[in-house]
Amino acid sequence: MGATSNASPAPLNSALSSFPSLKALKFTTKQQELLIRVSALALIYVLAFVVRLFSVLRYESMIHEFDPYFNYRTTLFLTKNGFSEFWNWFDSESWYPLGRIIGGTLYPGLMVTAALIHRILHFFSFAVHIREVCVLTAPFFASNTTLVAYFFGKEIWDSGAGLVAAALIAICPGYISRSVAGSYDNEGVAIFALLLTFYLFVKAVNTGSLAWSLASAFGYFYMVSAWGGYVFIINLVPLYVLVLLVTGRYSMRLYVAYNCMYVVGMLLAMQIRFVGFQHVQSGEHMAAMGVFFLLQVFYFLDWVKYILNDIKLFHSFLRITLTCAITVGVLALSIGTASGYISPWTGRFYSLLDPTYAKDHIPIIASVSEHQPTAWSSFMFDFHILLFLFPAGLYFCFKRLSDATIFVVMYGLTSMYFAGVMVRLILVAAPAMCLVSSIAVSATVKNLSSLVRAKSKSPQGSGKPLSGSKAAAKASADQSLPFQKNGAIALLLGALYLLCRYAIHCTWVTSEAYSSPSIVLAARGHGGGRVIFDDYREAYYWLRQNTPPDAKVMSWWDYGYQITAMGNRTVIVDNNTWNNTHIATVGRAMSSYEHEAYEIMLSLDVNYVLVVFGGVTGYSSDDINKFLWMVRIGGGVFPVIKEPDYLVNGEFRVDKGAAPKMLNCLMYKLCYYRFGEMTTEYGKPPGYDRVRGVEIGNKDIKLEYLEEAFTTSNWIVRIYKVKPPKNRW
Amino acid sequence: MKSQAPMRQRSDQHSASPASAGSGRAYSSESSSIDPLFHLLRILPFSFLRPPRIRLKIPSTISLPSPMTVFSLVLLTYFAVVSGFVYDVIVEPPGIGSVQDPVTRAVKPVVFLPGRVNGQYIIEGLSSGFMFVLGGLGLIFMDLALDRSRAHSVRVSLASFGIAAVVISYVMAMLFIRIKIPGYLW
Repeated sequence: MGATSNASPAPLNSALSSFPSLKALKFTTKQQELLIRVSALALIYVLAFVVRLFSVLRYESMIHEFDPYFNYRTTLFLTKNGFSEFWNWFDSESWYPLGRIIGGTLYPGLMVTAALIHRILHFFSFAVHIREVCVLTAPFFASNTTLVAYFFGKEIWDSGAGLVAAALIAICPGYISRSVAGSYDNEGVAIFALLLTFYLFVKAVNTGSLAWSLASAFGYFYMVSAWGGYVFIINLVPLYVLVLLVTGRYSMRLYVAYNCMYVVGMLLAMQIRFVGFQHVQSGEHMAAMGVFFLLQVFYFLDWVKYILNDIKLFHSFLRITLTCAITVGVLALSIGTASGYISPWTGRFYSLLDPTYAKDHIPIIASVSEHQPTAWSSFMFDFHILLFLFPAGLYFCFKRLSDATIFVVMYGLTSMYFAGVMVRLILVAAPAMCLVSSIAVSATVKNLSSLVRAKSKSPQGSGKPLSGSKAAAKASADQSLPFQKNGAIALLLGALYLLCRYAIHCTWVTSEAYSSPSIVLAARGHGGGRVIFDDYREAYYWLRQNTPPDAKVMSWWDYGYQITAMGNRTVIVDNNTWNNTHIATVGRAMSSYEHEAYEIMLSLDVNYVLVVFGGVTGYSSDDINKFLWMVRIGGGVFPVIKEPDYLVNGEFRVDKGAAPKMLNCLMYKLCYYRFGEMTTEYGKPPGYDRVRGVEIGNKDIKLEYLEEAFTTSNWIVRIYKVKPPKNRW
Repeated sequence: MKSQAPMRQRSDQHSASPASAGSGRAYSSESSSIDPLFHLLRILPFSFLRPPRIRLKIPSTISLPSPMTVFSLVLLTYFAVVSGFVYDVIVEPPGIGSVQDPVTRAVKPVVFLPGRVNGQYIIEGLSSGFMFVLGGLGLIFMDLALDRSRAHSVRVSLASFGIAAVVISYVMAMLFIRIKIPGYLW
């Protein structure tokens, strides 16, 4: 630091003396450093916001995907009717005829945050529509996450690492994928809450202060209100405490931090109705309780050891206490589990520990594409050079072990394992990867720049009086590597090149892969121009404007949220997937013959059926491709539906060689009704399905109990009306 | 660095002995022991059973492994996870794919699973994971080369190997991703 500051003020002085008014701007080195840091952070803040705006600029400011539509609908309700109505809301417009207790089955953090921002903006007379606030909530919180990452990096290593961490996480594609503008989903806010809680907890362990521990408890409360992934926190923190105990790094600071965070955090978490008493009743939360009691026993024994002078007495006491404590603990756990008070691990989280469980037992969890395990290319896509920097960062952490680095190592390892099990959890691993990689970058750059700055020994060595042999020995030991200074400069340029490539990669991935709204599809037309398919919204608005207000719509559960939010009609099943039997009923209806399905639809009071069909446009996420999941889920509850009935030699076909049950089931008929007359591609026969790549088998489809109500302009969404039962005579 | 609370200071001088003392003869004076289980055991089986005199010693405290040992284990698990090991176990893809040439009917191996981002064959996963770990090792060796206490030749070889490893792994990883995703970066 001293080497550069000697060189700069001299020319600076001469330049400044000619402008007397600028003399006041002469900064000391510390002020220069502060200015650089603050401006870098400001640029990173703006960058994190701006890089997520691709889809707003390309399409329009709208909500993406499926789940965010539910969040948007509830936020709309909250802003219109107030918090008390929202907290006690029973929604009869979804899961007909069961209804859904919305107040008790959602995580309110996201909605309350957006409504609060909306209210603050209105207070300052910015009359912004709630939809704009919802669309831009996730980028705003991503910018805040970069700030938290800076402080976290500063806590575990130094401020240089903090800056690098903030820059890395601002554009990390793993994080961008779930926090792009328009993706109004829990994770956008939850990652901010997660990192904040971890930062506050590490700060509490480092300082031992009660204030920081309370702050971490409130951070935990915010996380619990925002996302179901809070289970990760409540298991990682006890594991961390255990590791600290085992490695002998315990102290009063750890005791204060964990006790305060656990007790106050648990009490606060119970305020969320969806979580309820799970902290004392659910098996997933028992680790935290176990470590809590273990900590009490541990510190109690330590205190007794301090008081007792007799070591043999203490050992007897130790053995008695340990036996009693372990017996009581095991007894309590077994009584709780056996009596059913402590519920076992739910399927969602158990499948993280045993990944093969979901495949065999719970097809709904296994069917979601985000829940598939991760291949190497997904890692590379979402992390790029962070994958190289992560092991190096771990090495630096292990080299300089402290309470904070142990935490970040554990966070990184556990989150990487879970990211390997489920693609969706790459998001949780992204902050850890960025933090650990920033340590590697910061340490490497520091090493290299110290090499560049090292004064060469030879001119000074001749001036100093040194005894002969000692000087020679010192000279040979201090001999630097060949071409040290040039090599270090070249390596610094190489590091800069790698980081530039990272930035290019991230921007490309964001632009190409993660900025599509999913509800509006785009493709390249023949002339190279862009063709936009807005069929989904066209269909939902048709529903909204052309059907009676109490009409009930049956569709596969993927589209439920969008139909209720945009079409404003009651649905039978939606994305909440809380009732497997209800979904299986719909699946059974879709895969039965028309007359059987008609019975089921009458029993559910269905008026309209909505299917998604991609055969004309080549859109591959349509209902025919999802059909086998409908069969599996339906067959899981109603054994009358058997998957082999729809397959030919284990193969799923829709052409002439398809299974007869497949050619006559309701889904096939509804998707391919009148499709046999349509020519989709030049040179192919009519009725050519562009997604499956075959000509369909059954072209002459007659519907007996349904009639076609609406087909969108590109045939993507098709709506059918269920005819009322015939009069007896 | 161990963090010590004031209450532990008194136990410092005893910290060396508890392990060995506890393992050996903890029941030296029988009447003064406050352990009820001990007294119970003294009466019930051991009033008529006589334990043989063996000169066995419980091995001294299992010491914690050094940080670098833990680090190498961690590196191995990282390699497993990043190669898509869990994906291999659940989806069970073939080790290497194959495509049949339509004209000559010859079966050609296909290393990279085409078409999807989230799919792989086993070999391709392992080789990519190896590249990532190699890159990390390169950076570690570069840091080790700066350690002034090693011999000069060792430092030079560490530095050159480190730089070569980083360059090779980055180039190979870019090559792999370009083969896998044809539209990558234009």
